[in-house]
Amino acid sequence: MKAWLTFSPNIVSKPIISNLVKNYDITFNILRADITPKGGKMLIEISGTQQKQAIDFMGKEGIHLNPINKVVKKDEEKCIDCGACISLCPVEAIKPAEDWTIEVDDLKCIGCSFCTNSCPTRAIRVME
Amino acid sequence: MWDIMKTIREINQRIKDGDAVVVTAAEMTAIVRENGAKQAAEEIDVVTTGTFGAMCSSGAFLNFGHSDPPIKMSRTYLNGVEAYSGLAAVDAYLGATQPNRNPDIGLEYGGSHVIEDLIRGNEIELIAEAYGTDCYPLTEIKTQITLESINEAVMVNPRNCYQNYSSATNSTDETLYTYMGTLLPNMGNVSYSSAGELSPLLNDPYFQTIGTGSRIFLCGAQGYIIGEGTQFATEVERKNGVPVSTAGTLMLRGNMKEMHSDYVRGATMPKYGSTLYVGAGIPIPILNEELAQRTAISDEEITCRIVDYGVPRRSKPIVREANYHELKSGVIELNGVEVPTSPLSSQKKALEIALKLKEWIDKGEFLLTVPVEKLPSKGRTVKPLEIQKPRILVKDLKGEALILAHPTDAISEVARKMVQNSINHLPVVDEGNKLLGIVTSWDVANAVAHGKNKLTDVMTKKVIIAREEEPVDVIARRIDKNKISGLPVIDSDNRVKGMVTAEDISRLIGGD
Repeated sequence: MKAWLTFSPNIVSKPIISNLVKNYDITFNILRADITPKGGKMLIEISGTQQKQAIDFMGKEGIHLNPINKVVKKDEEKCIDCGACISLCPVEAIKPAEDWTIEVDDLKCIGCSFCTNSCPTRAIRVME
Repeated sequence: MWDIMKTIREINQRIKDGDAVVVTAAEMTAIVRENGAKQAAEEIDVVTTGTFGAMCSSGAFLNFGHSDPPIKMSRTYLNGVEAYSGLAAVDAYLGATQPNRNPDIGLEYGGSHVIEDLIRGNEIELIAEAYGTDCYPLTEIKTQITLESINEAVMVNPRNCYQNYSSATNSTDETLYTYMGTLLPNMGNVSYSSAGELSPLLNDPYFQTIGTGSRIFLCGAQGYIIGEGTQFATEVERKNGVPVSTAGTLMLRGNMKEMHSDYVRGATMPKYGSTLYVGAGIPIPILNEELAQRTAISDEEITCRIVDYGVPRRSKPIVREANYHELKSGVIELNGVEVPTSPLSSQKKALEIALKLKEWIDKGEFLLTVPVEKLPSKGRTVKPLEIQKPRILVKDLKGEALILAHPTDAISEVARKMVQNSINHLPVVDEGNKLLGIVTSWDVANAVAHGKNKLTDVMTKKVIIAREEEPVDVIARRIDKNKISGLPVIDSDNRVKGMVTAEDISRLIGGD
């Protein structure tokens, strides 16, 4: 599951993520993080048998968790399948199909926005 | 010479009879490989090509029709994008790269986007200004137009369909935003723009069938080649008959009222400008065995240079050559490292266009034309623009006494040097005058405020520099882009030779 975690300023100094990994049997991958003393956001991918308990723990510690179904969205109408985005993707989430239709793999996407900012027709959007 | 096996007139008769055999350039590659060029030339009548790429040198002549009372438009704006109106009363030319006059919109909605909106049938706001004459009394107009409502709209593109085009990479340590798309630092990616084996002018590289008056597919309409494009060249290095760099180009014309939005698109190359994705397809009549062989060219046989856009000069260094099969594979090796590649033109649309053109011919809706005059196939080169004023290089700037700091200097000593010499930057160097960092008056203030005593703790280590051999104009752009006020000048051994400041440069430019 991918989710945005929102940290309020009063909890940024607590080692919550460290405790999370120590206490629960989960796999945890930080895709993006922007956390300052004023609070912040983190995009994570979490999986494992104790996923539910881990999420409850984060809730108790004051992290707001917002699950997302889609990290990135391609507007099929706007996309001209030029492929300018392919080589900009740091995780190889954008690949051409056999017929050169440009395909975005949402599971791989880390929402870095490199493609969004460089799309000539503004056809890719990172979901917030 | 190759024997002529059939004429365009004969091919047209077969198209009318529904007997013509038409294949795409990609199919032709396989057919010739299997059966040989001679048999292919006997069997195949027409090979269709296609490309769908960003073509900046595009635009449209618009004739708005006359209002009552009439107006002699001297400035016109379409959805905020200015069209050139230095023509007769209600004629204008809208260029694809013209930015929006609203700076908040700027490059995001330019001439190319207006062209797309017109072709989509969307309403466009027209604002026209005039000085008023006896015969054209009106001085301003604000109204809504559509493609259907205006008198005429003719796309005329001075330079489309480059025969081949160098791929781009970037050796510098910062991201570059170019007409070849976003180029990642340290040769992090490669961007290529040709459709390779499907590309029109690579399939008839010596223009044996293509010329003024050739009927073509243009943005979903039947358009025409109206001559060679600008920057047309023939005297270039070739491999397998096709140029390895830019060479032939086309000037194209088509009626916008017959175009379709599937095959034309307004776009913006980030931080570069707006551009028009133009869909073009050219039919090549297979009149003889040689043309069968030429149209059979494959991606493997088409070579392309990869050049370094990190050098903002007319002639950019060549990093290596590659063929389109390699480029289209998605990764290419540069200096021992695997680098991802991106096409800039749509390979999918290129094939769609070649197939659409094939369908038109198969249905008898599109007949070939005999060109009035073939495009030149030799003797053409591109002339550069020489700037008459001698180019000023960084080393030509009058240097002042070189004042330097060393990593062991006390903060107070650095502050004293700055005040005594009325300067704001001090390069920090080692024993051999090699650059280690730069310290500004702000860094010194910062050190004092935080009680830091070591220069190395407050200096900036990643320094933006100027090289002695670089033109001053390039440095002006660098200062502007990085929002800095000065940068150290470095020689080829990385020794500091001086400082160049924004003031030095503005004095130079202002002094002209």
